[in-house]
Amino acid sequence: MAGDAESFNQLVLRWERPIYALAYRVIGRDEDARDVAQETFLRAFRALPGFKGQAKFSSWLYRIALNLCRDWIRRKKRTPVVQMPEDMDVIEMAADRGPVESIEDLVARNEMSRIVAEGMKLLPDEQRTAIVLKEYHGLTFQEIADLQGCPLSTVKTRLYQGLSVLRKHLESQGMTSFASGRAS
Amino acid sequence: MSLMFTCDDKATLVAYLYDELDAQARLRVDEHLRQCAACAADVGALAGVRIELTQWAAPNVELGVTVVREDAPPPSATVLRPAPWWNTVPVWAQAVAAILVLAVSAAIANVQVKSGPEGFVVSTGWMTSTAGSVAPAVVPAPAGDAQWRPALIALEQKLRDGIRANKETGTVRAASRSEVDNATMARVRVLLEASETKQNRELAFRMTQLMGDINVQRRADLLRVEQAIGHTGVEVAKQRQQLNYVIRASTVPHE
Repeated sequence: MAGDAESFNQLVLRWERPIYALAYRVIGRDEDARDVAQETFLRAFRALPGFKGQAKFSSWLYRIALNLCRDWIRRKKRTPVVQMPEDMDVIEMAADRGPVESIEDLVARNEMSRIVAEGMKLLPDEQRTAIVLKEYHGLTFQEIADLQGCPLSTVKTRLYQGLSVLRKHLESQGMTSFASGRAS
Repeated sequence: MSLMFTCDDKATLVAYLYDELDAQARLRVDEHLRQCAACAADVGALAGVRIELTQWAAPNVELGVTVVREDAPPPSATVLRPAPWWNTVPVWAQAVAAILVLAVSAAIANVQVKSGPEGFVVSTGWMTSTAGSVAPAVVPAPAGDAQWRPALIALEQKLRDGIRANKETGTVRAASRSEVDNATMARVRVLLEASETKQNRELAFRMTQLMGDINVQRRADLLRVEQAIGHTGVEVAKQRQQLNYVIRASTVPHE
């Protein structure tokens, strides 16, 4: 039992940050995202004996976390609210990053982050989750389809529609500098 | 997938955007984008959105999630509970409050402790100064003293002997030690019970005495108040008679 806990803690160390980031971007609240992340690992540890490796461990964790996020959204019956953590200090962040990024750049990037986050909360849960899984966690269409329990074509449609809504939102905020370039 | 890419095929466009098309399909989309300005602008704009999305960073927080065994105490578990009210009062204030309570209690009971040839004498109550005939209460020797004191002395001696024997022998067999320990513990338990009973008896005696003194004092106070009220009543009656006389005198018709 102690050995299991120690081994599992190694996995927690590897995955706590991605799981928290997923929860934060889906539900948009720092404190609740922490709770979801902790609960995810707790449930995963309890269900560990039943995990036979039929899926990737990360996919399994993502599924638990997304179910918890869905429960949270259903329970609260509210759309995610973008909320910066209280201890986020631009000056400290700039100091952490060293001379690479100036405070002005950091402020601009922070503002951009806020605008993007506001756009994300305009999306329906399914579209937002699909974009988060694709953009920030690099999952394939098939993995997202498995996690969301929908056909592959639905995932692509959700991504297209979500990106289109975000595009309009960014344009409405005066950000029209991304009209050029092709997908790599 | 059809051989030709059409403008309404958004699923293929998204797959192209995320580079999840096979080489052949990708070539077809490339060919279409060279000819269709609307689709090219669409793909370019969505690629720009993807670039902007990278600006949205999740907070860099330390979660410190750790799984521990249930029977082990959590190393740094923080349980938030409302603080009890006594934890919000500073220690010095609690000490002052305790001293005040003791002082007020002693003042109410008029506790007096005197030492003399008969030992310590504790007296309570307010009537001792006015009623000189009442002698201060002398704490009687505890009734059970004779029972438990020799036993306690014997036990102490026994313990000293045991410690001395241990020092001499160095080792003691575990079995005999446990027997001695059990017997000693039983004796100690009995003595503690006797001591506790004695203390309870003394406390009850003191409380009874205190209540008696308070009752006597209360009766004396009531008597004084009644006398004062009676005196005031006589004065009021006299004033009323004088007032009536003045009124009668003033109502006599003048000629």
